[in-house]
Amino acid sequence: MQELRDLAKKLLLDKQVNAILGYEWDRRGARPAFITEAGDCDRLVFDHRCVQNLAAYLSPRRANIAQLGRLAVVIKACDARAVAGLIRENQLKREDLVLIGVRCGGVVVNPSDSEQLNAENIAPRCVGCEQREPTLADHLVGETQSAPVGKANRDLRLSEIEKLNPEERLSLWTSLLSQCTRCYACRQVCPMCFCERCIADKTQPAWIESSPHSRGNFSWHLTRALHLAGRCVDCGECERACPAGIPLGLLNHKVARIVASRYGYAVSDDPSRETPIGSYRLDDEQEFIA
Amino acid sequence: MNNRRMLNKTDFEDFVDSLLRAGITVIAPVRREQGGEKVEYRPIHSPAEIVLSGQPPVRPLKEVVFPPTEPLFNWKQTKASVQIEEVPTEFKETVVVGARPCDAAALEIVDKVMGWDYRDELWFGRRQAVTVLSLACPQSDDSCFCTAVGLSPESTRGADWFMSSVDGGFEIEILTPKGEKLLERCKDRCRETKGRTNAMPSLDAKVRANLNIDPGKVREWLEKHFDDPLWSDVALRCHGCGACAFVCPTCHCFDIVDELDGIGRGQRRRNWDACQPALFTLHGSGHNPRKDQTARFRQRIMHKFNIYPARFGEVLCTGCGRCIRACAAGMDLISILSEIDRKSAEEGA
Amino acid sequence: MNLYQPQLMRIEEIIEETGDTRTLKLQFENPSVAEQFDFKAGQFGEYSVFGAGECTFCIASSPTRKGYIEASFKEVGKVTRAMRRLNVGDTMGFRGPYGNHFPLDEMKGNNIVFISGGIGLAPVRCVIWNTLDLRDQFKDVTIIYGARSVADLVYKRELQGWAGRSDVKLYQCVDPGGETPDWKGEVCFVPSLVEKAAPSAKDSYAVVCGPPIVIRLTLPLLEKMGFAPERIYTTLENRMKCGLGKCGRCNVGPYYVCKDGPVFTSAQLKALPPEY
Repeated sequence: MQELRDLAKKLLLDKQVNAILGYEWDRRGARPAFITEAGDCDRLVFDHRCVQNLAAYLSPRRANIAQLGRLAVVIKACDARAVAGLIRENQLKREDLVLIGVRCGGVVVNPSDSEQLNAENIAPRCVGCEQREPTLADHLVGETQSAPVGKANRDLRLSEIEKLNPEERLSLWTSLLSQCTRCYACRQVCPMCFCERCIADKTQPAWIESSPHSRGNFSWHLTRALHLAGRCVDCGECERACPAGIPLGLLNHKVARIVASRYGYAVSDDPSRETPIGSYRLDDEQEFIA
Repeated sequence: MNNRRMLNKTDFEDFVDSLLRAGITVIAPVRREQGGEKVEYRPIHSPAEIVLSGQPPVRPLKEVVFPPTEPLFNWKQTKASVQIEEVPTEFKETVVVGARPCDAAALEIVDKVMGWDYRDELWFGRRQAVTVLSLACPQSDDSCFCTAVGLSPESTRGADWFMSSVDGGFEIEILTPKGEKLLERCKDRCRETKGRTNAMPSLDAKVRANLNIDPGKVREWLEKHFDDPLWSDVALRCHGCGACAFVCPTCHCFDIVDELDGIGRGQRRRNWDACQPALFTLHGSGHNPRKDQTARFRQRIMHKFNIYPARFGEVLCTGCGRCIRACAAGMDLISILSEIDRKSAEEGA
Repeated sequence: MNLYQPQLMRIEEIIEETGDTRTLKLQFENPSVAEQFDFKAGQFGEYSVFGAGECTFCIASSPTRKGYIEASFKEVGKVTRAMRRLNVGDTMGFRGPYGNHFPLDEMKGNNIVFISGGIGLAPVRCVIWNTLDLRDQFKDVTIIYGARSVADLVYKRELQGWAGRSDVKLYQCVDPGGETPDWKGEVCFVPSLVEKAAPSAKDSYAVVCGPPIVIRLTLPLLEKMGFAPERIYTTLENRMKCGLGKCGRCNVGPYYVCKDGPVFTSAQLKALPPEY
């Protein structure tokens, strides 16, 4: 922790950055912190309760954050994939940011969860995560972490759903999505949902009905999952933010598995790596056209 | 005859069962499907589903009288002429069992805006059809602050019956004519009783420890501090979604949209909306009166703790804490209100 | 019939004002609704195209002209686009009248100065005709109006009519670069035209509507010229949905623009946060 605070202090004092975007404790666990004074750097913390993906704050559309000036951002490996995505999709310039990578052995589901990380409370997405630290970083802090261990198994859950027949699957998702009230927390916390005007907000034509009925909710969530194909960094923020408890991560995970099997692509924190959606290859499968 | 009754647990369940058999919709806190410990208000099929302990339901009671989406009318067009088909403003009899006091109170608070000058028949139509049986709050957590906004874990506001858990059953206080009418349905099952026995220790002190402020002082401070560094500091964290508003029992902003159901027919609907997304106030011209998150976040606090009190005489908040629990960014109304309280004391001194 | 259900209106006439602005003359389909309908200058309504949605406009015609209302609109979004596709004889929806109004009774016996820019003439036009239809009850009537270019001037026929009246002083301008060779009016911005016209503040009321920039520059100017802030009236155009003080959208400071407004005095605006 001291290493992180000292580094942040130095970055501010050397005027390398105007603000540090990191984590601090509040009454209910960890929350995002925006620190502009070197004297406040001792508020910075990092542990398994720092679940938020701070890359969401880096969108150029966040005018009040852009006003802070040059930022240093604390990122876990999964967050680094989002920063890489933003750079890859021309939302950010690598040189405009200082990236403080933190070593991570998995996080809990909610920042207010237990002080101890264990196999019961670990976020399902962390189980099987192979990246202990980001490659895309200017600095790396924290102790070496061991691979997270957990009981949750998303692939098992997915294969259970895949085993259902289409009617059963439809009825499962109809029931889950019926809880959506279209607060768009999923979109707002998503670092890759940075569109100037989201398709869900377009009115001419209104591609996606804004009403939270079955038709509108299906169009919204399926469209979002497809727009994140090969782009979702699996930070789990949409699912965590959903006040309706919809397992949105399952949709994204399913799409990611399809992208992996068809294009041999897994989202990485290398901004120069070409993505299936952003590149064209003659040998891409295109049987859906014929 | 006084207005207090005792109903033992089996009789209570029989009573709920009799309501169901009479074709009355019964809504109660139940476990969320695939949601672990989480609870939500839903129509039940059997009294066994009811969960009266634990955390408050994730979403408040407001959707029972104000659905997330509802048709305002249907229309059909033939050539140049349009026919409008009205939607009913009378609704099916519904009984809510086990409402949290913070949720029941919210209905009365929102009645004011729904009824000033123009009366919203869809809101009041459902209000009329719904009988609310509140339960003395069984569990609070670190997000609760009802005592800071003039309510309490035993507040009877907005309830037709107020129920307290006692050994072997419930002690019931009948509060309204609607409550009396419902009592007719279980007269034989309950017996008269004297005052409240307070079998459960009150959560009052525990909730008060979370936040202890004077909303009047907060309002005075807000009145004078449209511009304050607090707004821009706190708003940095806000993602601008509608989660806080959609889980709020008192937030009532809405949108009106047209949808087509086919060629030449469709409906106009109203949908929940929230003041935090940029689109809420965006003009067709591109001008946006609340152009950044700082302005939008301030509006949320101002509306609840200054504008609504000025207009309707009380804060637009029941201290249920749902906005705090729901916020992905850790926006914490308790911290914000205590900060305002602190600033106000500092300036007053 | 709930609050949100509109009355049906038939389009009687479509007047092309400019390249992107039109006026629709509307009549209630139900004769008994038409009979009972009444409004005051400054009030607004929720106009709708079925399938596209609702949009808020002032009633641009005068309450002294019975049997119809007029709405002037510029194509900017989904609903106004759909409105442009409508033809004479088509059906629209209307809810209203909503909101407060200009205090015509209080203004009687005084001079009135009307100032507006662009399509901001629509709410002002309603008061102008109301005043002119009761001409003997007012003293001097001055109209100061400007638009970006000659092509952008709305209500051209009426402007000509007012120019020809001896009981109306009309000043017109277009922004520099917006003039045509035969343009007879001034070439300047609306606030400069106000200075040129130099209306007397004595026993006068001002009614100002237009784009935010015109309002922002004109209100202080009028005060400098001696107009009391309580005698300068304008309308706010916050985005609205319900029009009934429920949906929360038009809320600014302590006001619900749809119920406390849309007509406000300059004195009221000064006390408001700059969120309109």
